[in-house]
Amino acid sequence: MQIVQSTKKLYRRLTWSWIPRSDKEAGDAIVKNILLHWFPHKVSKGSISWWYSLWLGTMSFVLFVILTVTGIVLMFLYVPSVERAYASVKDIEYVVSFGWFLRAMHRMSAHLMVATVFLHMVRVFVTGAYKNGRSVGTNRPLNWIIGLALLICTLLLSFTGYLLPWDQLAYWAITVGTNIASAAPIVGEKIRYFLLGGNTIDQGTLIRFYVLHVFFLPVILVSLFAWHMWRIRKDGGLAVVDREALSQKPEQVAPVKSKTYSLLGITNGTTVHVQTRMVNEEENSLPSVPNLSRRIWLVTLVTMLLVMVSSIIVPTPLEAPANPSVTPNPAKAPWYFLWLQEIVTDTTIKLGSFTLNGALVGGILLPGILLVLAIWWPYRDRSSINATGVWFAPERKRQNLIFLALCLFVILLTIVGTFLRGPYWDFYWPWEAWPTTPIRF
Amino acid sequence: MLAAIAGLGYQSIRSLVPNVLYEPPQVFKLGLPQQLAEGVTFLEDKRLYVFREGESYYAISGACTHLGCTVKYTKLNQVKQVEIDGERKTVTGEFNCPCHGSKFYGDGTNFAGPAPRPLRWFRLHIAPDDGQLVVNMGQEVEQNFRLTV
Repeated sequence: MQIVQSTKKLYRRLTWSWIPRSDKEAGDAIVKNILLHWFPHKVSKGSISWWYSLWLGTMSFVLFVILTVTGIVLMFLYVPSVERAYASVKDIEYVVSFGWFLRAMHRMSAHLMVATVFLHMVRVFVTGAYKNGRSVGTNRPLNWIIGLALLICTLLLSFTGYLLPWDQLAYWAITVGTNIASAAPIVGEKIRYFLLGGNTIDQGTLIRFYVLHVFFLPVILVSLFAWHMWRIRKDGGLAVVDREALSQKPEQVAPVKSKTYSLLGITNGTTVHVQTRMVNEEENSLPSVPNLSRRIWLVTLVTMLLVMVSSIIVPTPLEAPANPSVTPNPAKAPWYFLWLQEIVTDTTIKLGSFTLNGALVGGILLPGILLVLAIWWPYRDRSSINATGVWFAPERKRQNLIFLALCLFVILLTIVGTFLRGPYWDFYWPWEAWPTTPIRF
Repeated sequence: MLAAIAGLGYQSIRSLVPNVLYEPPQVFKLGLPQQLAEGVTFLEDKRLYVFREGESYYAISGACTHLGCTVKYTKLNQVKQVEIDGERKTVTGEFNCPCHGSKFYGDGTNFAGPAPRPLRWFRLHIAPDDGQLVVNMGQEVEQNFRLTV
């Protein structure tokens, strides 16, 4: 017994320089700790519920951490040169110990991150979480815009990473992607030239995409993410807290007999009735450590498990080396851009002799309009404060339905592009066999 | 200070716009005209279709005008008559794009799919020094261009 207690004491001495004597001291310690200062001392029960946020933001961050860790290791193994890029990826896949697993984890995390960031945005919209509550100094619409920038950053990170294996899949996806940029009026060709570092996808393009992928975009993403988290704290936590504050019935405090000051002098009477809300009270909130931290660890664990298992199950493709003279048939963009590819195919408009390129309509105008609408929407949404932080608030029914219909449209086009398009972009049902087409012309 | 920052920003971005390109030349020789096979020849690395019809030659780009994928030429089993810009023409082949399904007649005119313009035609000439056929991919020409040797 003595030994156990001595061991415990020794362990405490080795791991703690100081032990909190009260809840307040423990809370202060968290706020002062650089790793834990993201958390408030206490969090409301609603904020840490599984079903309000679905923890999609946390999942996205965990995926980004996995991407960073696996990406740093891959940087030691990958050679960003046209002559050696493909061979180095092939080495990673077949020669390097656990190389296949690292690459698969990096790829799966990237795909999952695109999905979770998108779903996180959908969740924020349908819960009206971009709306300000009653608290002073909140600016949730700004945080929604930062979130949109993070979504774009995620897509760009994924897109720039797509070229690096320098295989056929990569080469032709980037051909299509950069040609969409060149469809922009007046400056389009210049943008493409700047992006590619020339007129063709070559060494200049590879090194540009590599630097963007491993340095510029991650730095921008981390900065935006820090701002995103800081704003959550500044806005008083998740939007659900505002709803909780509103849904709390004011409680009347029993009047206390006392002396009351009036213009006529001191008279006997009762105090003014004080009405309180319970949101900050003990029964509605919990200490962040361990309640919030434990859940974050659990989400981290589940996300890592998901990535690892899917990396083992789902094969990581590496096609033939990039060949500028042979276009695969069909040539498809990454899955999260297939809805755009589907739109650019169908939106070339001919008005007499005037032709509007589908690449401009579907690749630039339409996504541009959607983005501007998304940025503007929080300022347009005039629903009452009661619809903040509520899943499918009846007041926001119409806008939620329109938003979900748009999302469904994007998902539907993605499914059509992924599973139902065959050679020459013709439509085929999944059970229909594709005609055999010659690969070489 | 602001001027210095602006200057540094400008020079950083300007340095990323290449002044010299180490890309394949736009003008190159194809060999003697009579050595070129009758019909269509596809130059894979240049993405260029060169046509020979007896003594006349012309070259059509293999890059789709929609998003730059390489189009595939197919000889039609049955010759068909089509109207292009109010003129009746005989079509013996078609170009198809694998990326988004654009279709072009044998002369490069777009007739289906999202391609906004016809395929580009490039100038051909005979090299004065050795009489070889020369393609200039930097110079576009009209669809009625023919080099007769």
